[in-house]
Amino acid sequence: MRKFMTLLWLEYRRSWVWGAALIGSLAFWAWGLNQVSASDIGEQLGIRAGLLFFAAGLGALVLCFMIGRIRSETRQGQYQILLLTPPTGYVHVAARYLFAFAVAAVYFMGIGGLAWWIVGSTGLVLNAGTVAQLVLVCPFYLLGLVLIPLLSWTLLLMIFVSAYRISGSGWIPGTVMVLGSPFVLNWYGDWLFHISYTLPGWRLFETVRALVESTPWAAEIDTSGVTALVLPQEPLWGMLLLAVVMLVIAGRIWQEVEG
Amino acid sequence: MTQAFLIVVRILLLVLLGYWGYRLWTGTISWTSRGVAAVFVGALAWQIIGGGL
Repeated sequence: MRKFMTLLWLEYRRSWVWGAALIGSLAFWAWGLNQVSASDIGEQLGIRAGLLFFAAGLGALVLCFMIGRIRSETRQGQYQILLLTPPTGYVHVAARYLFAFAVAAVYFMGIGGLAWWIVGSTGLVLNAGTVAQLVLVCPFYLLGLVLIPLLSWTLLLMIFVSAYRISGSGWIPGTVMVLGSPFVLNWYGDWLFHISYTLPGWRLFETVRALVESTPWAAEIDTSGVTALVLPQEPLWGMLLLAVVMLVIAGRIWQEVEG
Repeated sequence: MTQAFLIVVRILLLVLLGYWGYRLWTGTISWTSRGVAAVFVGALAWQIIGGGL
């Protein structure tokens, strides 16, 4: 545990600038969202939602770069010097991943908060349950479905490539994994899609239609399309399982190469 | 003519993939890395043979 906490502290020291910049960028996005002015509420919401999705994508990219910086430290062996005895690869991977996950969770909850703010700016007053779904459930569902596996994949890619650095053929494993991953993911995704809704789905925003109909502008729009969102559980569990498997493999490779 | 050309391209791709597979098998001391390499090389080979690429 001491090694894990030390590595986590080291991770914080190495990457806090990345994390602070990313979370600080939410202020920029809030300013950008505030600049959007369109007379039509639907158009205004659409532009702001687009900006939020762009912010989420950019954040995911920055997090992947943050978690993927492996080469310098494995070459310098700084962890071994710091801890006197080499910690296991699993501890390295867990510490690195936990820090990136914590930054991602704060960032995406911030995105959820901005979504709440832009919905609120239309005059729609959300109840506590709907706010919790918007700020917590939706960001964490997207985190589990996309970002958590993506960060695991990035970490596995960099560790997989670093396993070949002595033979000097780093571009071959990188190319093979980058080219092969979409096909493997496609097969896995097809299977997840096939089993979706086998378990009961999660119903979100069930009260949003009544809330929309209570607004002054409800008469201007067609509310028949505003329905509850039913999210399937299986893709989330499947992608989380995939993320864990990739992390275990990454830890195992680190153990075999650096241990 | 087109069919023959595609067959030649696929054979060349398989040769290249075979060379990469050899480099990936011999370029590391980690058996787990070899396993990961086998999965992705296998996926690419399957796509080349099956016509996905």
